[in-house]
Amino acid sequence: MKKISFRDDVLPLKDRLYRLALRITLNPAEAEDAVQDSLIRVWEHRDEWEQIESIEAYALTICRNISLDMAGKAGRGNVQLSTINLSTDSQLSTLNSQLLPDESQEQKERIALVRKIMDTLPEIQRSIMELRDIEGKTYQEIGNILKLSETQVKVYLHRARTSIRQQAEKIEKYGL
Amino acid sequence: MDYKYIEQLLERYWACDTSLQEEQILRTFFQQEEVPAHLMPYKAVFDVQQEQAEQTLGEDFDARILQITEGESVRALPLQGGLRRGNFLRPLFQAAGLVALILTIGMAAQRSFDGAEKGQQTMYAQTDSIENPAQELIPLPEQQAAELTVEKVDSMNLTR
Repeated sequence: MKKISFRDDVLPLKDRLYRLALRITLNPAEAEDAVQDSLIRVWEHRDEWEQIESIEAYALTICRNISLDMAGKAGRGNVQLSTINLSTDSQLSTLNSQLLPDESQEQKERIALVRKIMDTLPEIQRSIMELRDIEGKTYQEIGNILKLSETQVKVYLHRARTSIRQQAEKIEKYGL
Repeated sequence: MDYKYIEQLLERYWACDTSLQEEQILRTFFQQEEVPAHLMPYKAVFDVQQEQAEQTLGEDFDARILQITEGESVRALPLQGGLRRGNFLRPLFQAAGLVALILTIGMAAQRSFDGAEKGQQTMYAQTDSIENPAQELIPLPEQQAAELTVEKVDSMNLTR
């Protein structure tokens, strides 16, 4: 295995780490702190780099754990996410009453709603969707990062996609 | 564009049966501004993914991290470990260093002084004969001084 350089091999992972942290914390400032902490922790373990199979998977795992800690400390988690879920429903009806004829405006609202739906999914589903749909990782790679089996990854992803599909179709059926 | 194919792909996408390449095809398809009306709600899903993929950190982030990691060897490490643990010992170390410095300079000076003294004792003996007449030259009356120079010149001429 080639020699790992922090500047050339670890630091360029920052945006991927940031997006994962952002999916978990749902807060840009916290996500940035999480990435900084993750990179420093990877740096502190530089004497172990040689034994690591994938420095990217290693960094992503650290980043997820740090992000989870942060989200936990901030009092977020699935408990509060379910309350967001309720507010999404009420938001749906408010948006419904102020329907705009402009199609691009309509699409903007669809996007805003899908974003909200995604944010209300359980953390594990959000993390898997991020790694699959944004970073283009295989089920095996995702399993490696999240310490899950490939089957578990697929099950969670299936749940996530099904929820999104149902919500998106629901919006369409009953209007925005 | 064959929408049947896209619809099929989409169906398999929801079922998590698509490959990464097939998912990329869907993403590319939904990137276009206009898609058939019945696919618009799904376009929103891929639009959000696109939007999420563009989320990045600020430009100053690298510099901040590198300052921590690359500056660590010269600054951060001694600051974090050394300051806390060795803080109260620090003046002691400085004092010890100063004493060592003074001792070194002192010993070096002593050495050269001793060496110079030994050598100078013989030198004094030699220089006495040179220095003393030279010192006497100054208070000498002008005439005698002139005679001396004449003698010197004479002896110089003789040697020639």
